[in-house]
Amino acid sequence: MHETLEIRLTVNERSEAVRIEPRETLADVLRERLSLTGTKVSCDAQVCGACTVLVDDLAMSGCTFLAADADGRSVRTVEGLARDGRLSPVQQAFIDHAAFQCGFCTPGMLMAATAILEEHPRPSRDQVVHGLEGNLCRCTGYEPIIEAVLAAADAGTVDEGVAGW
Amino acid sequence: MIPRFSLTRPGSIEEALDAFDRAADDVAYLAGGTELLQVMKMGLAQFTTLIDLKGIAELKGISVLPVGTLRIGATSTHRDIERSPLVRERAAGLARLESRIANVRVRNAGTLGGNLAFAEPHSDPATFLLACGASLTLAGRAGRRELEVAEFAVGPLATAREQDEVLVEILIPAARPGEGRAYDKIAFFERPAASVAVRLTVVDGSIADATVAVGSLTDTPVVVTGAGGALQGAPVLGDGFAVALDAAAMALGGVEAMADLNGSADYKRHLAGVLLGRAAGVAVREATAHA
Ligand SMILES: Cc1cc2nc3c(=O)[nH]c(=O)nc-3n(C[C@@H](O)[C@@H](O)[C@H](O)COP(=O)(O)OP(=O)(O)OC[C@H]3O[C@@H](n4cnc5c(N)ncnc54)[C@H](O)[C@@H]3O)c2cc1C
Ligand code: FES
Ligand code: FES
Repeated sequence: MHETLEIRLTVNERSEAVRIEPRETLADVLRERLSLTGTKVSCDAQVCGACTVLVDDLAMSGCTFLAADADGRSVRTVEGLARDGRLSPVQQAFIDHAAFQCGFCTPGMLMAATAILEEHPRPSRDQVVHGLEGNLCRCTGYEPIIEAVLAAADAGTVDEGVAGW
Repeated sequence: MIPRFSLTRPGSIEEALDAFDRAADDVAYLAGGTELLQVMKMGLAQFTTLIDLKGIAELKGISVLPVGTLRIGATSTHRDIERSPLVRERAAGLARLESRIANVRVRNAGTLGGNLAFAEPHSDPATFLLACGASLTLAGRAGRRELEVAEFAVGPLATAREQDEVLVEILIPAARPGEGRAYDKIAFFERPAASVAVRLTVVDGSIADATVAVGSLTDTPVVVTGAGGALQGAPVLGDGFAVALDAAAMALGGVEAMADLNGSADYKRHLAGVLLGRAAGVAVREATAHA
């Protein structure tokens, strides 16, 4: 018998208890145990961001984050963005701005964008670019994605903040 | 897939050391896992036991000690450090460099302790901490000891840490009056191609003393004494400053740089020279503001 442990976490606000092996990643558990296949794995090396999920509101690479480290924490994935059949503002903005083509990077981009907008409700363009730096897209050339995130932000004044610190 | 391992989650340093004693030979401490899990996935290292340090309260938190030293717990993430008002106020250069490490996901998971303990030659914070004369505390079976950051990394992926020792905290001395500390890097891929940290003191409009550390060129970050010496005595305004910066950049010519994906040794030395000028300018501004 291999060592296993039970983790309790919430995924998109639902409580889950899953018995896992220590070596399982959060992306494995979401995709293989909980059938939440919206989260993608591509580079498996924390470079591309296809696997971006939010753990206690912070963007993490699901591909290299131990599921054991999600014990007791709140995980959000792309499946949790829409509410009562209504897309989240950033999801709608991605459609309106043609911010995806093949769509493979989109779940990760949406989660990264969600984290940016929660931290900076009215981000500057710099803040959007900085926050998306680790999410790669091979189709769009990024411009429509940046436009979509800015459009999804509250209309009105723009944060003065510069990227990073 | 990551090969199988067993995981323990101690609540104190004592429990971590006990877990280390009980484990077989191939045991490693785990913090954010951004390096460790990656090397395990790639088959570069295998461990049958991982001891997770993230649940240990003593390794967390950022505070200022009575003497003004900034204490950063080893499991503080890059993000914790970047956002800390104490770090922004007392070591602004560190807060800025932390905000530029890797990508937001690596910053949210990766810790300062893990960065230093892994001793990757392209570490950003190691270069800055070296220039600042920072130190760190290790706790092991044989007790506690404090080491200078300069003594810690001994080669690529090699440190003076004994296998059982837990890196507890990083200690950054308070800036003296008139002192400025700054860092700059250039990166084409994930990690820096070249980086430079400058710590200097300005007295009456000229540089009283300066330390220049260079990262990503050599196996471990190095202090380039000749470069610091070239800045010493220079006025911080006018042509004199530019002349001193040129001399300091020349002194980098002696650094035994390694060629890598980022470019040749000469090219990387050139980059370091440019970064030295930028970092020195920022350090002078900080020093003048603190005068
Ligand atoms: C895509 C990518 C880009 C990156 N870019 C940069 C960059 O631009 N600049 C940069 O500086 N770094 C970069 N990094 C390195 C990044 O992984 C580290 O900065 C990170 O902080 C390592 O910390 P960790 O907590 O994840 O360490 P872990 O992976 O958990 O541990 C690393 C090593 O340290 C040991 N260890 C960890 N904590 C302790 C402790 N408290 N006591 C004793 N031993 C300990 C572990 O046993 C292991 O050997 C990058 C990494 C990736 C994957
Ligand atoms: S799959 Fe995780 S970052 Fe690429
Ligand atoms: S839409 Fe194809 S990779 Fe981004």
